Amino acid sequence: MKAVFTGAFVILLLLSAMAWSILPKPVEAGKTQIIWASDDNPARRGQIDGFNKIATDAHVSLDPNNTGLQKVVVQSLAGVGPDVFDSGDGTLNVLIDADLAWDVTDELKKRGVDIEKDSWKAIQTYCVREGRVYGIPSNAAANALFINKTIFDQQGIPYPNGPWKWSEFLPIAQKMTIRDDKGRATQFGLLIDWWLWPQFVIQWGGRIYSEDGTKCVIDSPEAIAGIQFLHDLIYKYKVMPSPVEEAAMATQGGWGSGTITQFGEGQKAAMAMGGRWWLCTLRNKKQFPDLKMTVCEAPYFNRRVFYGYGRATFINKASPRREDALKFLLYMAGPNYNALINKQADALAPIIKYCYKPEVLFDPEFPEEDKNQVWLDAMRYAEPTPTSPFVNYQAAQRILTRQLDLVKNDQKLVPDALRDAAREVNAEIQKTIARNPSLKAKYDAILAKRPVATL
Amino acid sequence: MSVTPTAMRPPVAADAPRTVAKRSSRSDWRRLWQAAPFVLPNLLGFLVFTAGPVLFSFAIAFTNWDLQRSVPFRWSGWENFSVLMADKDFWLYFANTVYFLLGMPVAIAGSLALALLLSQKLKGVVIYRTLFYLPSFTSGVALMILWKALYNPDFGPVNAVINSVSDFLHLGVKAPQWLLSTANLVGLDVEKVAFTGKQFGLGARDAIIIMGVWTAIGGSNMLLYLAALTNVPQELTEAAELDGATNWQVFRNVTWPQLAPTTFFIVVMSFIGGLQGGFEQARVMTNGGPAGTTTTLSYYIYNKAFEEFQIGYASAVSWVLFSIIFAVTVLNWKFGNKETTY
Repeated sequence: MKAVFTGAFVILLLLSAMAWSILPKPVEAGKTQIIWASDDNPARRGQIDGFNKIATDAHVSLDPNNTGLQKVVVQSLAGVGPDVFDSGDGTLNVLIDADLAWDVTDELKKRGVDIEKDSWKAIQTYCVREGRVYGIPSNAAANALFINKTIFDQQGIPYPNGPWKWSEFLPIAQKMTIRDDKGRATQFGLLIDWWLWPQFVIQWGGRIYSEDGTKCVIDSPEAIAGIQFLHDLIYKYKVMPSPVEEAAMATQGGWGSGTITQFGEGQKAAMAMGGRWWLCTLRNKKQFPDLKMTVCEAPYFNRRVFYGYGRATFINKASPRREDALKFLLYMAGPNYNALINKQADALAPIIKYCYKPEVLFDPEFPEEDKNQVWLDAMRYAEPTPTSPFVNYQAAQRILTRQLDLVKNDQKLVPDALRDAAREVNAEIQKTIARNPSLKAKYDAILAKRPVATL
Repeated sequence: MSVTPTAMRPPVAADAPRTVAKRSSRSDWRRLWQAAPFVLPNLLGFLVFTAGPVLFSFAIAFTNWDLQRSVPFRWSGWENFSVLMADKDFWLYFANTVYFLLGMPVAIAGSLALALLLSQKLKGVVIYRTLFYLPSFTSGVALMILWKALYNPDFGPVNAVINSVSDFLHLGVKAPQWLLSTANLVGLDVEKVAFTGKQFGLGARDAIIIMGVWTAIGGSNMLLYLAALTNVPQELTEAAELDGATNWQVFRNVTWPQLAPTTFFIVVMSFIGGLQGGFEQARVMTNGGPAGTTTTLSYYIYNKAFEEFQIGYASAVSWVLFSIIFAVTVLNWKFGNKETTY
């Protein structure tokens, strides 16, 4: 028994030594450590290294395990939040209302950074509210169509060029969709992540919320027509996989998995709608040795607009190191970071002027990517993520997702689903303002200003 | 430290009760002080990390506490509870939670059957026991990802078997879409607590139940039954056999009644676990979908607290869930416990 215990002790000792040996190295003396809660995108480490090389008194470390709004909010309110954190769609209101995001308007102005003037309009809603700047966009994306050149070449069809309409797109996608004797698709014309549904709403001239955000209007005829078309791509035109077919194609886990790998791995789809950030994964020749691709602008209906999205980086208001963290934000607004984003293809750089450079339009290291102008055009026509200040984004998303899941599974008619979604989101708006007197006052003030006919 | 066993203490004179009481009280205190360092770490941990938060959550269930500071904090009395009663989502997710309990009897019966098999004197029975217990010490998340692949409607092995059998027997049965489907065995509606023929079938909820039953059959319930089976007096079984009882009669009239306390314990614990459960499955396998059909009350509490930041409301839901669990346990105790006395 003594030998067993001694053996166990020695093993534990060895494991401890191993753990010590792989511990992150302490930050150099005299440098302040800044913790950045962000995803473990392979590009992120390069972005951090870029800062750490030039910063003389600060050192940024990535904390990929504590990303996500829930963790950031809860940890920050408990006083153990990260110094810098990223946030995405529709979360700005929460960050401001929870008093987490440091208002950096004046700090940036003093240092000559004007986010409202310099960055892409479509992503400003991620960090600017009512003229106040709470963070810096860390990248900017709008989708285009990835084209699998091999499939097009096999079919003898020329690669499409934008701008073009969905009506022009459909015959090509139908030709590209191939099914076996049992009716099972062996190749699809198009892959789209379902979460991109807002693009169809805005292209058909619809909106999710009224302009002032007081009402959910996703049941408008335009929005219904847009979502109906998305549904029809699966069930009527059959150029896109149904949820069942999608599950059959699914890959498991990891950053950049899902639709990206489905497109990248061989002959599964001729076209896929995605952002430039897909290239971070698709450039990996070891994973996708046979992929030959190009891009073209995504089709549109009656409005040549695209759904714009990205990330923004914020400084934790409660961070004792926020002055040092500001240096990191300034780095993100500067030439090195922006050039790196464009080089890495982590979508597009947030600051417009750094995107219109010859090396962005053509990077000799990636000669296949010869149509980078497409990304710039898509971003130019991009519209921001529609949100309302009068409803919690997650609560509204839960309602919208539930109804759109039923549409995606062909279990509910689009008009019925969107009518129910609008009704439920509007009820949630009423609940939210009933809980929050200052929000209610703002809501009432907007309604009071509105002409009677529109009430 | 030395503690004098009671039996070794000197006899106490009958005319000195007060002295004895004093001495005994002093010695009790001394013993308490001696024991305190051993008990205190655990007790402090319990008070700080369990009892404290539980009481705190009870208090905040009566507030409108929202992590968004723009909502001014106030005591809201019973408001959260009255809102909850009219909250459609709460009832939908409560129905989902109750639906998930449907797997419980099957899991318990399966555990018992397995324990009966594994209590036989077989060669290598220890290996069988270990194999059946494997799902219990394998990572839950890994198992869920594995089951997600098994349920793949087109290429998953589950549907491959169903389709093969159906083709072979010319049944024309269409394999279920499992995690992608809102269908269920009792026809629960997706958007309201009602039944509809449209939803009848096998879907995401049933897929999760089947996975749960598979995990539970070889789990701790089986171990409890195995332990209980070893306690069934051999002489009772032998006497019944001598009287000419069949195997079934021995089980029905001897073994089963002897297992009643264990069964009662398992039923109570399964109810508690079932009503609290569903979070991991929803988080890993379905994100609560499709269309909210695999969202249980525990996942709803998480969403309300940490996605919508309504901590007060989430606490109220937690306490309602606790009340339901408590009521079910009391009912179990009242009606189920009778069987355990002979």
